Amino acid sequence: MSDEKIGVFLCHCGGNISDNVDLDYVESELLKGDDVCVVRHHENLCSLEGKNIIKDQILREKLDKVVIAACSKITHGNTFQNYIQPLNPYLFEMPNIREQCSWVTENRDESTVKALSLINSSVESVKHNEPLKKIPTKVKNSVLVVGAGISGITVANSLAKQGMEVTLIEKRPAVGGAMIQVGKVFTPGKLSEDCAACLLNPVIDEMVRNEKITLLTNTVLESSTRNSGNFDVILRKKPDYINPEKCTSCGKCTEVCPTYAPDEWNEGLTDRKAIYKPFPQAVPSQYTLDDESCIRCGKCIDVCPTKAINLDAIDEIISLTVGSVVVATGHQRYDTAKRPEYGHPFYEDVLSQMQLARLMGVNGPTNGHLVVPSTGKVPRRVVMIQCVGSRDQMPDGHKYCSKVCCMIATKNANLIHSHYPDTEVIICYTDIRTPGEYEKYYKYVQENGVKYIRGRPGEVARVDDHMVVRLEDTLTKTKKEIHTDLVVLSAALEASEGTMEAAKVLGIPLTEDKFIKEKHPKMQPVSTDIEGIFVCGTAQGPKDITESIIQANTASTKISELVNGGLEVEPFIASVNVKKCVLCGKCIDNCRYQALSMHNQSIRVGPIACTGCGDCIVTCPQEAISILGQSDEKLEASIKGMLKNKNPGEQIIIAFLDDIGNVSANNMGINRVECPSSVRIINVPFINRVKYRHVKYALTHGADGVFLGEYPDNARHNEIRENVLVMKRHLKEDGINPDRLLIHGVFIPYFRGLASQFKEFDDELRLLNEA
Amino acid sequence: MKSSKKQEMSDNQGDDLAHRVLNDIKASSDLGLLRCVQCGLCTSMCPASKHSDYDAREIIKRVLDGDESIIQDEIIWNCFYCYTCQSVCPVGNSVCQVTQILRQMAIDEDVGKQKIESFISFADNYIKEGLGSIPREYHGQLKIDYGQHWENLQENLEEVREQLGLDSMYLLPEAKKSIDKTLDAIGFKKRVQEIKDVRNR
Ligand code: SF4
Ligand code: SF4
Repeated sequence: MSDEKIGVFLCHCGGNISDNVDLDYVESELLKGDDVCVVRHHENLCSLEGKNIIKDQILREKLDKVVIAACSKITHGNTFQNYIQPLNPYLFEMPNIREQCSWVTENRDESTVKALSLINSSVESVKHNEPLKKIPTKVKNSVLVVGAGISGITVANSLAKQGMEVTLIEKRPAVGGAMIQVGKVFTPGKLSEDCAACLLNPVIDEMVRNEKITLLTNTVLESSTRNSGNFDVILRKKPDYINPEKCTSCGKCTEVCPTYAPDEWNEGLTDRKAIYKPFPQAVPSQYTLDDESCIRCGKCIDVCPTKAINLDAIDEIISLTVGSVVVATGHQRYDTAKRPEYGHPFYEDVLSQMQLARLMGVNGPTNGHLVVPSTGKVPRRVVMIQCVGSRDQMPDGHKYCSKVCCMIATKNANLIHSHYPDTEVIICYTDIRTPGEYEKYYKYVQENGVKYIRGRPGEVARVDDHMVVRLEDTLTKTKKEIHTDLVVLSAALEASEGTMEAAKVLGIPLTEDKFIKEKHPKMQPVSTDIEGIFVCGTAQGPKDITESIIQANTASTKISELVNGGLEVEPFIASVNVKKCVLCGKCIDNCRYQALSMHNQSIRVGPIACTGCGDCIVTCPQEAISILGQSDEKLEASIKGMLKNKNPGEQIIIAFLDDIGNVSANNMGINRVECPSSVRIINVPFINRVKYRHVKYALTHGADGVFLGEYPDNARHNEIRENVLVMKRHLKEDGINPDRLLIHGVFIPYFRGLASQFKEFDDELRLLNEA
Repeated sequence: MKSSKKQEMSDNQGDDLAHRVLNDIKASSDLGLLRCVQCGLCTSMCPASKHSDYDAREIIKRVLDGDESIIQDEIIWNCFYCYTCQSVCPVGNSVCQVTQILRQMAIDEDVGKQKIESFISFADNYIKEGLGSIPREYHGQLKIDYGQHWENLQENLEEVREQLGLDSMYLLPEAKKSIDKTLDAIGFKKRVQEIKDVRNR
């Protein structure tokens, strides 16, 4: 028995509790043992008067710890945390005898018994409370942005303007991503097509001029480890074969280089040399070397007037510590060769939308002249095919809608139409998806004369000197063979290689479609599962430029919150007992929030990253880890207290509910839905916190059943369910009927379901007990 | 209580034509009939649609619309099972499977029986010989299609098989007898008779 002095305060809640719980009886019972040294009642403990009573008693009786039996912690937890002040704010417990007792139990006697049991539980458990402090944390004021397309550049600019140090890395030799390549973008409000480079250049300039931004091209993220809130990252920069300081962009090297490779900038429509400048306006404006095609003949070295070329240059490994990471790795386009029926790339007159954009780009292979590749003439007709690889459940297809292809096709069609009025443009579609304002642009283009046929073509063939597209016009029910000079495929947007690589390195999950998974698609659209890592742009899913920019700005705001907010984190995080820890590192590998790291022969816990989920507790073979303020012993004590005054013939169910389940149970009370009085709730942050030893302890010390209420939409769901099966097996081995353990899904609004589940379990246990 | 409610719901769903097709034993378990977005890709590739009034997409539309007259419609007999529609449909539908099921529904009614009545000699041949072979009445056309060589082969088949060291193609009387019994027991003969009755009516 500890010699700590524990005081209990009982709130009447203006009759809400006292009408249905005999608080005098509770008081007399509490005072019978020697655990509690003082009990006080009050009409409304949350009032100022209540505050004085609590404070007064703490000082007068020199209380060490306090139990306040009242409403839910969510309602008044903070209030009482303040009221107990001279005491440390974590030295109290709050049994919920209102929502989870007086409001859900009809019979006053039962309600009283239950209240006493809940309070006993808190009395036992508060003995294990230790003084804790909120953890003030600082996130390092530096950010790594992966990917320098429009999203990455936007985020970098915004962060740098807020005073942060930004490292912006890009895998390719030049920045600008898909936007710079596409040539023209459109503005639906103005019904116009604008020059993409003209819009993008000021943004790029701003990035280049900002001294807080370090741009590294030809660079990838190689590894990342979490180190108490920060990330230690390693970047690999391809060799700088051409010294940027010396290169004057004279282009002599390119002239003499004998080796050709397909030109990525022009989507392979033309070739480039092995040493080259990606495109005339490329930033950084510097020559680059494609070391896979280079044959090391050295001709370029001979002609370079500034001796800028060094073919023996080696990779650069850069290590960096940053406070946050933004994944802006963009997308790639569906490989249309997976739909050979459309003839790409077998027929040179079948193009992708991006190839068409390059053909029409003034800095493209034909200086902006649209010509049929096989004939060099202006096409008389162009047919576009939508949904190539999108909305497609066939193997290799993507089920989702790529969201922007309808607008892209419409824009390119209008461009063709306005430059070549004699060329007929037909778009074959399944549905035209131009939500919001874009509908206006669609109607405008349609009125301009671009034709839309509703039908999904099945094949493209070459007949004589032209192409034929076969489809059914599903609106007129006519089968058509459209003869055309040029076919353009609107290929799906898909997750880029770079996105998948970054996700792997950073340990963030992907969606089923391989895009970066946000923490919550509605409420936290730019956060990821790992605190401090954010996502924006098409790395997260198909979207247009506007949306990408909005997301980029959101990500920067979120980082600013993290850095400037002066974060105070709840202290319920993992803590490692150095004496027991053997440094096996299992916990580090298993923590999906990357909260743990190895430091000078000890395991360190990152307070921002750690969610207190308790996964590490389960993994650690040495039982060296506990969650502060939530030790195994404390949990056991809660159970012990609940079972303390069990009456003969009374049935008790210990219900461990996670946070969602606990709110759902509170809703039962608020809505006065009856719940069997046998149910005694213990709120745990995550269900995997409950170990077999707790289940067994409960069932061997008087509990008739153990109920686990779990919100199923959590990352560990399958493991939890699996674990329950294992526990059931253990129960059987230990001679306990496994039916006494039940796991059930909980959702906040589904409180009636929870109540009836409790009832059903209660009935079942009664039958079990009779048998 | 709970489960009977579920039952009720799925029973309601099962009533309409589309669900009857989906629940048919011939329908593959993941048939995308209800996912059809009427894109028309099937029709664009369907040879039957190309050469007749048959429109693969339209068949699906009528089924989804619950248009029962499709069962009586001549048009469902135009599909010749090339399975192109099934191989291209982006939502995993198969018009080909659907028409097969519609045909079976039609066969359960007189109109379908009339449709397949002209093939009944295949069944007769099967009952007679206990194995599948081309009925005599088709030989004339096959002779025209394949020429003298085919006729020679048919006439000298036994001899040719003998030379190749093969046994007789025909079954032994006791095997025939047991097949005959089987065809009786499984109701094959009865169904053949039902189809013939339609002609005789
Ligand atoms: S799992 Fe346990 S023993 Fe192993 S390193 Fe982590 S804390 Fe130490
Ligand atoms: S291809 Fe499939 S989805 Fe498209 S109309 Fe035909 S059945 Fe429907």
